[in-house]
Amino acid sequence: MEVTFWGVRGSIPSPGPATVRYGGNTSCVSVRLKNDDLVIIDCGTGARNLGLSLLAGPFGQGKGRATLLLSHAHWDHIQGFPFFGPLYVGGNSFTIYGGAKTPSLLEEILEGQMAAQYFPVQTFKNMGAKIDLKALAPGKAVKVGSASVRAALVPHGKSSVLAFRIEEDGRSLAYASDAGYPAGGAPAEAIALFKNADLLIHDSTFTPEDRARRLSRGLASLDEAVDAAVRADARRLALFHYDQDYSDHDIDQLVARGKRLLEEKKAAKIELLGAAEGLTLKI
Amino acid sequence: MKVRFWGVRGSLPVPGPRTERYGGNTSCVEVQSGEGTRIIIDAGTGIRGLGKELMRSEFESGKGAAHILVSHTHWDHIQGLPFFSPLYRAGNQLYVYARHRDDVHLRTVFKEQTTDPYFPVPFDSARAQVSFRELEDAARFEIKDVRVTCARLNHPYVATAYALVADGAKVAYVSDTAPFTDILFGEDFVPGPPPPDFALPKKQREQLKAMRTDVVRLCDGADVVIYDTMFTPEDYRLLPHFGHSRPSDAIEICREAGVKTLVLYHHAPDRSDAEVDAMLAGARELSGRAARGLQVIAAYEGLEVKVGK
Repeated sequence: MEVTFWGVRGSIPSPGPATVRYGGNTSCVSVRLKNDDLVIIDCGTGARNLGLSLLAGPFGQGKGRATLLLSHAHWDHIQGFPFFGPLYVGGNSFTIYGGAKTPSLLEEILEGQMAAQYFPVQTFKNMGAKIDLKALAPGKAVKVGSASVRAALVPHGKSSVLAFRIEEDGRSLAYASDAGYPAGGAPAEAIALFKNADLLIHDSTFTPEDRARRLSRGLASLDEAVDAAVRADARRLALFHYDQDYSDHDIDQLVARGKRLLEEKKAAKIELLGAAEGLTLKI
Repeated sequence: MKVRFWGVRGSLPVPGPRTERYGGNTSCVEVQSGEGTRIIIDAGTGIRGLGKELMRSEFESGKGAAHILVSHTHWDHIQGLPFFSPLYRAGNQLYVYARHRDDVHLRTVFKEQTTDPYFPVPFDSARAQVSFRELEDAARFEIKDVRVTCARLNHPYVATAYALVADGAKVAYVSDTAPFTDILFGEDFVPGPPPPDFALPKKQREQLKAMRTDVVRLCDGADVVIYDTMFTPEDYRLLPHFGHSRPSDAIEICREAGVKTLVLYHHAPDRSDAEVDAMLAGARELSGRAARGLQVIAAYEGLEVKVGK
């Protein structure tokens, strides 16, 4: 498995000189499986650059297929969808899994974004590619190529989002963006989903101090991400979904602090890194 | 009047090193009159930075008032509003203006942007007082000491141009629009360029001509015209159905209207800083030949232009 980060930011894209190193695009991660199968997790503005790179290959000729997993439908996780180039090439085919109870609910959500008052294309039926919408039930595994994909519901403030686990040939990736746990940290189902992951991509929107001031936003802080990685005994932890106001320097400090936290917890064997646009990790 | 640019990009925000100089935020321009009337044109992601700055003024204590003129409600012109801090401070007053539509009320358009499952904070829970005013094409009205006039633009689902007159100066905002020649945009989805042998029906040609005349009149004698110049000639050849103009279209309008300064605006997401530089150089070369006396600049985040007193 090869994982590439295309957008690592939360809430709203944050362009500018202060964010060029980690990047200002909202959430999007691609996972290249064996046999070139492609899974995309979340579709924030990072998806635009992913799309541009895919158009150079089979997706440019209408011969591409991919699976898109949506953690939830807050803007920063779907706003790249209308700007994802491969969707406009006839012949390409996408299966989209979301947490909505039924495919028609998922359709309604995605169509809401495309409506005439918001976007000139008006409906994703005008986009060209074949789109197959599916509801992903938490706990149930689905096959994508030679990988198995499983989801669990995790709290996100007053609502909840899907966290994902992708396994292929005994290697595993877990993704939990927008996790906002109650006191006590990640619930047991979340830890089970992250268990022994080779890479855990975890929401780390805030420092603990900033989170305390913004509890209602239902997002995780650095220490919760670290705690989840330690409890799940993950091999690597990638901090993800940074606050829109955090500069590259702030994130450097977040990463350094995370490493110190791991040492304090006697878990320095877990490798911690800050997700950055363009970074590719082999699992 | 003081004009300040907070977001100069079209389509979607484009963070990254390629856009560091001109900026990657979507459309938002602040105009402040000599008497302190605050007008904001469009609410793309640029409005987030403006909101932070306003929270260092009377908006912090809930005593601020701002008038937001929305050219149209495509994402890149409204997506920043939920992140506009003054919206969440009780006492602030925000007035949102945009063209009237038969199918959906302006309030609904904004309300649905922040509804479940898209956004965690519903619009109705914003503590500022928000009023909506729907405008007719060619509306004229006053915001304190600022006179506002409107004109219809040629863009999918229709957009509105605004001219602001105050302090003995005029500023016009013309975004988004296609040229007034090849396609008449309205409510319908336009799937692609017109076929090569296609001739516009006479009625549509006349409609476009009238629309163009109104835009020239709107810009007449303006000190500053901010114009959608998203496309190079090559872009326009491939994508005339997207509803955006080239610098040459803007220069022609500005020449006819006797404009002093044209600001290239609504840069394409793909356009790197170096490419905007090149576009600006090309536009200056063209205006030097075709519109002597017209100054051309390219909008970047942080650009401030003062006109009149």
